[in-house]
Amino acid sequence: MLKRVFWATSAVILIGAAGFGIYAYKPAIEPVDANSRTAFDPEIVEKGRVLAAAGYCSECHTAEGGPPFAGNYPMDTGFGTIYATNLTPAKETGIGSYSPEAFRRAMKEGVRRDGRHLFPAFPYNHFTKMSDEDVDAIYAYIMTEVPPVELETKENELPFPLDLRFLQAGWKLLFVDFDDYEVDQAHSEEWNRGAYLAEGLAHCGACHTPRNPLGAEIESDQYGGAQINGWTAPALTPRNASAVPWTAADFKSYLTEGVSANHGISAGPMGPVVHIGIRELPESDIDALSLYLGEKSGTNNGDPVDTSAVVRSLERGRPDPQYRKDQGERLYATACASCHYNTEQIAAGRPDLGINSATNLETPDNLIHVILDGVSGPEGIEGVVMPGFRDALSPTEITAIAAYLRDARANRPAWPDLAETVTRLSNTAAPAE
Amino acid sequence: MANLFSRLRQSPDAAGENIPSELDLTRRGFLISASAAGAAFGFPLAGNAAMDPEAADGVPATSDGATFEPTIWYWIDSEGLVNVNIIRAEMGQHVGTAIARILADELEVAWDNVRITHVDSAEKWGTMVTGGSWSVWQSWPVYRKAGAAGRVALIEAAAEKWGVDPATCQARDGTVSDGSNTATYASLVAEGLQRSFTEDELNALPLKPHAELRLVGKDVKALDIDTKTNGQAIYGLDASVDGMVYGVPLIPPTRLGSSVNSVDDSAAKDVKGYLQTLTLNDPSGTVPGWVVVLGDTLMAAKRASEHVSVDWQAGEHAGVSEEDINARSRELIADKNYGAILPSDNPDSAPAFEAAADVLEAEYVTQTVLHMQLEPANATVFQNEDGIWEIHTGNQWQSLILPTLSAALEAPADQIVMRTYMLGGGFGRRLNGDYAVPAALASKALGGKPVKLVFMREDDAKFDSPRSPSVQQLRMAFDDAKAVTGMDHNAAAGWPTQVMVPSFMPKGVNDEPYDPFAIDGADHWYDVGALRVRAISNDLANATFRPGWLRSVGPGWTNFAVESFMDEAAHRVGEDPLTFRLNHLTAKGQNAGSAPNAVGGAKRQANVLRRVAEMSNYGSADLPADTAIGLATTFGQSRTMPTWVGGAVQLHVNRETGYIDVQKMWLSFDCGTVVDPDSALAQCEGAALWGLSMALYEGTRFEDGNVVDRNLGTYTPLRMIDTPDMEIEFVDSSEVPVGLGEPGTTVIAPAIANAIYNAVGARLRSLPITPDAVVAALKD
Amino acid sequence: MIEFEINGKPVSVDADPDTPLLWAIRDEIGLTGTKFGCGIGMCGACTVHVGGRATRSCITPVSAVEGTSITTIEGLSAQDNHPVQEAWRNLRVPQCGYCQSGQIMQAAALLQDIPAPTDEDIDAVMTGNLCRCMTYPRIRNAVRQAAAAMTQGNSDNG
Ligand code: FES
Ligand code: FES
Repeated sequence: MLKRVFWATSAVILIGAAGFGIYAYKPAIEPVDANSRTAFDPEIVEKGRVLAAAGYCSECHTAEGGPPFAGNYPMDTGFGTIYATNLTPAKETGIGSYSPEAFRRAMKEGVRRDGRHLFPAFPYNHFTKMSDEDVDAIYAYIMTEVPPVELETKENELPFPLDLRFLQAGWKLLFVDFDDYEVDQAHSEEWNRGAYLAEGLAHCGACHTPRNPLGAEIESDQYGGAQINGWTAPALTPRNASAVPWTAADFKSYLTEGVSANHGISAGPMGPVVHIGIRELPESDIDALSLYLGEKSGTNNGDPVDTSAVVRSLERGRPDPQYRKDQGERLYATACASCHYNTEQIAAGRPDLGINSATNLETPDNLIHVILDGVSGPEGIEGVVMPGFRDALSPTEITAIAAYLRDARANRPAWPDLAETVTRLSNTAAPAE
Repeated sequence: MANLFSRLRQSPDAAGENIPSELDLTRRGFLISASAAGAAFGFPLAGNAAMDPEAADGVPATSDGATFEPTIWYWIDSEGLVNVNIIRAEMGQHVGTAIARILADELEVAWDNVRITHVDSAEKWGTMVTGGSWSVWQSWPVYRKAGAAGRVALIEAAAEKWGVDPATCQARDGTVSDGSNTATYASLVAEGLQRSFTEDELNALPLKPHAELRLVGKDVKALDIDTKTNGQAIYGLDASVDGMVYGVPLIPPTRLGSSVNSVDDSAAKDVKGYLQTLTLNDPSGTVPGWVVVLGDTLMAAKRASEHVSVDWQAGEHAGVSEEDINARSRELIADKNYGAILPSDNPDSAPAFEAAADVLEAEYVTQTVLHMQLEPANATVFQNEDGIWEIHTGNQWQSLILPTLSAALEAPADQIVMRTYMLGGGFGRRLNGDYAVPAALASKALGGKPVKLVFMREDDAKFDSPRSPSVQQLRMAFDDAKAVTGMDHNAAAGWPTQVMVPSFMPKGVNDEPYDPFAIDGADHWYDVGALRVRAISNDLANATFRPGWLRSVGPGWTNFAVESFMDEAAHRVGEDPLTFRLNHLTAKGQNAGSAPNAVGGAKRQANVLRRVAEMSNYGSADLPADTAIGLATTFGQSRTMPTWVGGAVQLHVNRETGYIDVQKMWLSFDCGTVVDPDSALAQCEGAALWGLSMALYEGTRFEDGNVVDRNLGTYTPLRMIDTPDMEIEFVDSSEVPVGLGEPGTTVIAPAIANAIYNAVGARLRSLPITPDAVVAALKD
Repeated sequence: MIEFEINGKPVSVDADPDTPLLWAIRDEIGLTGTKFGCGIGMCGACTVHVGGRATRSCITPVSAVEGTSITTIEGLSAQDNHPVQEAWRNLRVPQCGYCQSGQIMQAAALLQDIPAPTDEDIDAVMTGNLCRCMTYPRIRNAVRQAAAAMTQGNSDNG
């Protein structure tokens, strides 16, 4: 998922570096004739389908309502809009004429077949960690299964000089480590498999790692949490604000079913990551990813579930006959509790909002997004929806509910900018369904 | 239907035997379109399309073979089926079940053979109104006589057939026998029975003695329950007519006197399904300045309405607030010459006050209350092929709104029929059928095309006829022996009856007309020496909004004042409030009561009060700190039809937060004969909880000419978690059955105020009693 | 076209994506047992099950239920004899009845998640459903009765 602001400015600073032009220059790779391509092993094609899904290729390469992989998905960079390219094997406008080498170079070095540099809105800085074998499988899948669609990719709307692709080379020089994934001998094979997936194909850090002012992920703060499209991608480190620490088991249910009873559901930008992405992977891979993420969060070896936090939260959730004393509590009791109430334990599909991540994060965005627009059938727990209160409650009322949850249920210090955030997000149009 | 199925694309394997529900549910749609074609029920001849609440499609029972119809109230067919016509609206009282049972009991038929039909409006039914807790009370003599007529006719037919003396015959369970012969009603009807009764004959019929009543007072399941548990009950909002369009109103800034300067719908034209915007022209003057937005679905109309801008000329009361209305009440109370003085044994209280050794005075205020019946107002209107205007909606007072609809449609009243539906709550809102007028006008503007007008909740609240805010000032005179010598009760509020049916207003002893529904209750049954009750119409309220009849009407506020004040008076003279009340319920003079409705008078009120004191352990319960029981009593809705109620509430007051924890409520009712015990209990439970809701949780206020709370985000009636334990009993009685829909409502607020005083010594004189008000009162 | 399942049958609805599910069910599909009370999620009259969970249909855009499976009061049980409906009839809960489809759907969902609810549980879950006729004491009893019947039924089967 790389639908985030991309600071293309970075490259500009680098003009003037001696020999830069030489460094930046990449030759074109000869086009190949699609008809000459021999058939791929079906097993490799299937493997490629799974990998393409788990890398969410189509998520960024498909415009709303457009043909899959045909590009033109707009990404607002803050400076202008970049359009995702046509990934179908179309000869003229897609990648039909890419050889395996050209595709590999694009994926791992961020360079098009014609030698021009790709903008790092495309997360080649992660894909570079993938094995050639995996990249080739994706190639095999696209060339075999994705129907070619001739569709011209729209001109990026970037102002000069940010539109100069060769400047991207400087950014790469500064921020991208093109080495292959390096096995960490201190950890198990499974852990390494998880790390390989997370850092490469799944490119978790693209959303969950904060970026420096030049738009590059801050290595030293890997998975430290970041903002994306007005949502918070929570930290995947011990800094994670959850009331109950994440474990490998939590990650596994979250990544396969879209929900972890102790944390919440995959909604917003994370929705498709789970629902059209990661869950396609074989179980062993999801286990590996979960193990790795659990350890990154620092809790796999600790108390697996801090049940006392759950018990405290459930306790705070008991109905209070004095619920009318606070506007937020009253509205919660009448509009939310019928679903979000639990007895001795948290039932699947009855999220406890005292320990839910959205209530515990440092920022209220995620909670407000969900209150405003709910959760649709394909998101979160599949087939279950949460209604949205955008047209039902006023910003003041939503603020009151969020403040109540934060204070009385999560028992956390108040969000300082809550009312402003609610107003801002209320004024932003609802996402198109 | 075609419409439905083109939208509802069934997958091939799913079409088949298990899709009956849609078909069933749209049969009412068929029914309506069939009757639109004049085919189904022969309207207007029969005037009887109507609704059977037991039937999944709502279609009433039809007769098999010959029928016997001794009065308009029912027929019996040759299969022995008895269909009882009910002219009262079903809005939760199970009124058809109660009334049909009265008839079935006298007729001597088995309950299983009884069906009910809630009829459509027609002149032959007389006045169609459902309110005032009158239904059972008014129906009791009528349906008993009607049942007796059938029983007598059938017995006589059998006796004649057997050549025996009718006096030797007996009827039971739909069968006549004389000991040796038996004949079922079905067979007698099949043989052809024609008999009708004059009014005098009816009055002379022998009625069964109380002891022989077999259905009245017995537990019988209400006929409308099943369809209310499976989604099949049909409410006004479910009305569906082929080809109908949907409308939502744009309501002007003031209830009265607004007019439209201009309408701009250009922004609405992009909304899919938007049809057009109508500026209503209303010859009846009911909805001045209204605009209706039409769409081919309700949501299209609604979305479009958000994009239609209207420039209104507001009426002159656009700036009025609750404070303004109450200030006007105080002004009018201060004007001694204004208002109507109610009859009492001695309405001249001035001498008592002049001679008084001590005078107690207090002012009580109640806030505006909304109906918030759960089904928002709606109506579907069209002109059928016979030129008849059909009004499809749930309504409580068809006879009141028909003339208005006639004026609006510029059609004679006999060319208009109101079709009957279940009401998703009435509570008095649908006594005022004004919501049907804009629907009728919209259809009229489209040449009679069907229009379904739906009020979104916010519109429903804005257009409500709320319970008026009220201000009451009470005084009591005591002599130097602390005996009560006189009492004044001045009550000012908006007057629904003055605004909607002024002809219903009786005159006071000073020849001034008054709205009984805004003052009943103040004319209590306590002996207090001279009693001067002055009813005052708040002209500013009447001009700002349409004051409405809301469950328990006047006693909702008058009884709060009377019963709080009786407690205050008791404390003033140092007596226990129970003793003080009993000492003044002495049943002397006009308070002795009279037959048939008020036999026993104040004695029966004293009795229910004693009963709840016992039930609640009042006075002897050992209660924790800041916890107490408060008492109150009422005689229900009016002196002419008293339902005696005693109420006790136990509560705890949180001195810090002001939170009132209502722990238990006890109620004792003496309503004469209990006709339908389970429904009676349900009505009393609901009424008491309404009382609690209005005492603590409900209340809005006027600002800028409108109520400020328009939906459940800010208007906050009682919910499950607020519901305390209740214990309710009925006094055994064979007296005339009186009403139960409302009386339980009015004892709760004063009992709460009195309990708060008993618990923490703070006197709350305004409704609703909020925690802030409790905290403030504790500081005084 | 938005496709989903209702009461076990696939349907596609041609409505604006932001049309509330409630009105798609009532006006497009023609099932009117589900009621409209407030339109803002504060009364529960419009409660249906989506994916087995009680959901306020008045504030759920129809687009959000694409691919889901919905149950309305009409489809709660084939013979209208769900234990909750039975309890509702035994105790004669409904007055005007208008809120009761929503109450029953909410109660059925409650008992699925919390088979033996305490009164506190009933309060917490059912407080979102307004009954203007104030049938609350009977609703409370009926939920208890249905819970007992269902527990009984389950152990009989087991
Ligand atoms: S109509 Fe949906 S909650 Fe009230
Ligand atoms: S039964 Fe009337 S609203 Fe609940």
